[in-house]
Parts: sequence; C-alpha cells; structure tokens
Amino acid sequence: MIRFEKVNKTYLGKKNVEAVRDVSLTINDGEIFGIVGYSGAGKSTLIRLVNQLEKVTSGHIYINDVDITALKGKELRQERQKIGMIFQHFNLLWSKTVLENIAFPLEISHISKKERLAKAKAMAEEVGLADKINVYPSNLSGGQKQRVAIARALILNPDILLCDEATSALDPKTTEDILDLLKRINQKYHITILMITHQMETVQKICHRLAVMADGAVIESDTVENIFADPKKELTKQLIQTVDTGVDVKKMALSLKQKYPDGHLLRVTFEKDNSEKPVFYEVITKLNIPINIVSANIKNTQAGALGVMYIHIEMRQEIAPLIEELQRREVKVEVI
Amino acid sequence: MAEMLESLKEPIFETLYLTFVPLFFAVIFGFIIGVAIFITSSESMIIDTRGHIGLRIINRLADGLVNIFRSIPYLILLIWVNPLANLLTGSMIGATAAIPSLVISATPFYARMVTIAFTEINKGTIEASKALGANTFQIIFKVLISESKPALISGIAMTAISLVSYSAMAGAIGAGGLGFEAFTYGIARRNTERMLITTFIIVIIVFIIQFIGDYFAKKVDKR
Repeated sequence: MIRFEKVNKTYLGKKNVEAVRDVSLTINDGEIFGIVGYSGAGKSTLIRLVNQLEKVTSGHIYINDVDITALKGKELRQERQKIGMIFQHFNLLWSKTVLENIAFPLEISHISKKERLAKAKAMAEEVGLADKINVYPSNLSGGQKQRVAIARALILNPDILLCDEATSALDPKTTEDILDLLKRINQKYHITILMITHQMETVQKICHRLAVMADGAVIESDTVENIFADPKKELTKQLIQTVDTGVDVKKMALSLKQKYPDGHLLRVTFEKDNSEKPVFYEVITKLNIPINIVSANIKNTQAGALGVMYIHIEMRQEIAPLIEELQRREVKVEVI
Repeated sequence: MAEMLESLKEPIFETLYLTFVPLFFAVIFGFIIGVAIFITSSESMIIDTRGHIGLRIINRLADGLVNIFRSIPYLILLIWVNPLANLLTGSMIGATAAIPSLVISATPFYARMVTIAFTEINKGTIEASKALGANTFQIIFKVLISESKPALISGIAMTAISLVSYSAMAGAIGAGGLGFEAFTYGIARRNTERMLITTFIIVIIVFIIQFIGDYFAKKVDKR
C-alpha cells in the first residue's frame, strides 16, 4: 500500500514552483493505479517522491506503513530495492548486455555472479527476451528495451512498480504489448503498479483506479469505470472525450451547433451488461426519434467492456423522454 | 643513418619515460579529482548537495584549482615547480626532475577530461541506478566508469599526447628526450637532418598513441 498524506513539493528558486500541492491518495495492494494529467501537472515529481528521488517539502508517504520520507542512507536504499521503477526513455546501461542490465540490481545487492545471472536469465524469459540476453541495448527496439527495464525492475521481487510514462515513447502496437505484460505481471505477482501518463487511453486499458492531476493537485480520483461514466471536472471530461472519439469534442460540438442551432449532442455510456444488449435500439424504436450517431466505440477496461457513444439529434425535439428512457435502463447520459 | 638512429635510442627512451611515468600518476590523480568535482556538483544529482556546505566548498575548490593549473603555461610551471622537484627527487636537472612538473600539469588536464566524460552520461541512467538502490560508491564504479569508458580512454590518449609535447619543453632543464635532441642538434648545431628525423619520430609516437587510444575507445563503445 502506498499512502500519500498531505504531500507538498516546492522547488525553491528565483521563482518558487509548487510542483505538488497537498496530495493525499491511497493506492491499495495489488492495484494498478494511474495518474493522468498534461505535462507540467506535477506527475513526474509525484512519482519520484515515492522512492525519494525527490524529497518532499512537507507531508508523508507511507509504503506498507513505513514512512519513506523519514528514511536516509542505507535504510532508504534498502527500501528503494523493494520499489521497482521504469522510465519513458528506458535508462538502461549501454555498456552492459541485456543479461547484465537485468542482473544489475542483484549486483548492487552483492549477490554472487552465478546466482544473479541464473536469476536474470529466468527473468529475461519471463519478459520474452530469452534470445536477446547477450545483445547490447543499442541493438534492441524500444519495446525490447522497455522489457529489459521491466525485467530489471522486477528482479528483486519488489512490492511496487513505478512506471514513469513507460509507454509514451513507444508506437501503439508496442504500447499494447507492454501494457499486456504489465497486466500479466500485476496478476501473477500481485505487484502494486503506480503509473503516470498523459495518455488517458493507457489508463483506461489497464488501471483499476485513476487520479487526474492539474497544477500539482489531484482534482479527481475514482475507479476507471466511474470516471469514464461520470467525469466531474472539466479537465477530466476533456481527457476522456479525446480518448472516446480521437477528436476534440468541444470543436465538434461547436461546428454542429453552427449547422443545427436547435440540435443536441449527447454522450451516452454503457457499462458491463448494457454494452451487450440492444438497449439503444429499444429506446429509439419506442420513442421514434431520428438520431445521428457521431461516434461510437467499445473499450475493454479492467472492470469489463465500456461502450461510449456520441449522438446528435438534429431537430427541435424534446430530449427529456429520451434521457429518461435511457437512464431507466441504467445508461448514463450527458448533454454536451 | 643507422648510427644516427642508434644515437637516438636514448632520447626516444627518455621521451617515453617522460610521457608514460607522469601519465600514470596524472591518470590516477586526475581521475580522483575529476570524480570529486563531478559527484559534488549539484548538476550530477548523485548526492543532494543542498545544505552541504562542505561538499560545495570541495567542488568549488577542486574546480578552481583545475582551472588555475590548466591556465599556467607548462614552461612557467616547470620553473615554479623546480624547487619542489629538487626536494622530491634530489635533483634540479635530468629526466626525473621534470616528472613532478609534468604530473602537476597533466593532472588537471585529465581531471577535466574525466568531468566532461561523466557529464555526457545520460542523467536518466544515474537516476535509474539510484532508484535501484545503488549507493554513491556503486554509482561511481559500476555506472559512471563503465558508461563513460570510451571518453575516459580517449582522455588518457589526449593526456599522453600533451605530455609528449610538454616533455619536449622539459628538455630545457636538461630533461633530455627528443625535444632536447631537436633543440641542441637541430637549432644550436644547425643539423637539419637530425632535427627532421627527431621531429618525425615525435610525430610517429603521437600517431601510435592516438591509434591505440582510438582502438580501445572504439572497442569498449557498445552504443
């Protein structure tokens, strides 16, 4: 468990920068927790506070009830070994082979060469790099490098894995593979994963819960289903809508409004069972309302399928009965 | 011709002696000073230097001394250090007497090479090593050195080459070597042939050092 308690981080300088402001969060054991926000929101600083690569200005961070902010020197280094970390740019040692990179944390912990190479070999297999162990990182693709980094982060059997924009430098296909790997690791070892990213899509795919950060503060935090079905803050809505449609919904709504001043744009979300039933068909045949589907898709999240649809009703019509009928069937509707 | 080469044997040996003995000490001392400057600098992010006045003083002092000694022309340094050399080696002239001044002049040179080599290491790699629980000692020996091997080796070659040229100046206090040879025979006795051959040998020595340096720097570079 990771518990942030009123954590603040201010960089002192000519102009003080409040990178993290009053963050209190609890991340449960075995959970995949995502922190999302635009760059400059303070995510990178926040994740570095967990293993004390950055020191807090005030507040505490408890890791399994140990206050890591109070640790120093050897105690801190030992605690760090229980927290794996992977990075956007992998940060491997180019002078060492894949196997030596994976074994590096064991080398630091003074484990005999024979034992560490055996363990590293097994870990290389685990992440699908058995045939690359004697290769240098410069000969690997981005996805393979991140696999090495994951293996290196896991070799000491940590309780926690920190992911700092781990898929942001990868192409979509590779991102998918790495996310699958992280999901598998989470299930197999019951390891807690804390990831920061600016990609809402990544969070939607593998996280159980998420927090949205802006200007150093956590503005919203809930399960992925709840946030996607019912985002509260404007920024959260923005982030979600981009994932839904791949376009800027605000602009889309504006151009529709210009064309059809009387029209309405609705965002409709189906959860779990509803996404597999012909709910929408039932409603529109019952009410006989002509609608236009602007965008629709179904995404898989940790909690099951999530269907999101953007519909536009062109004419001056009463939309209240439509909303009522949909809500009666446990479908969430939001007028944009 | 063969006779001339035979007579050049000793100056060649002296030049090599004046290059590699000071190089040995300069690399050791320069490395230590370079590491000290790098790890005590706030940019390296290896140690949190905020609030550690002592570390900052070490950093400024070492950095300042390197800059000062790098700016003093070798010939002047040679004269300044001569009394010290006398104290250490018991002689004011000769090859061994030149060694302390050569070490003092090459050490800051190599120290600077070391800090530059370390600065070029990806900061993320250092950060990752810290996150994995490495201590400062392990970061120096398992990360900094191995990640900057090519630059550290090139630095040794460059230091050796500058020592070849300093050793020629050391000829002025009777340190011997090829530089002294070129000066006494070539300039004082107007023996052009001998001067050309001496110069040629110096160039060859420099080429060989450069070649060996490049070879090993390339060999350890897995980027």
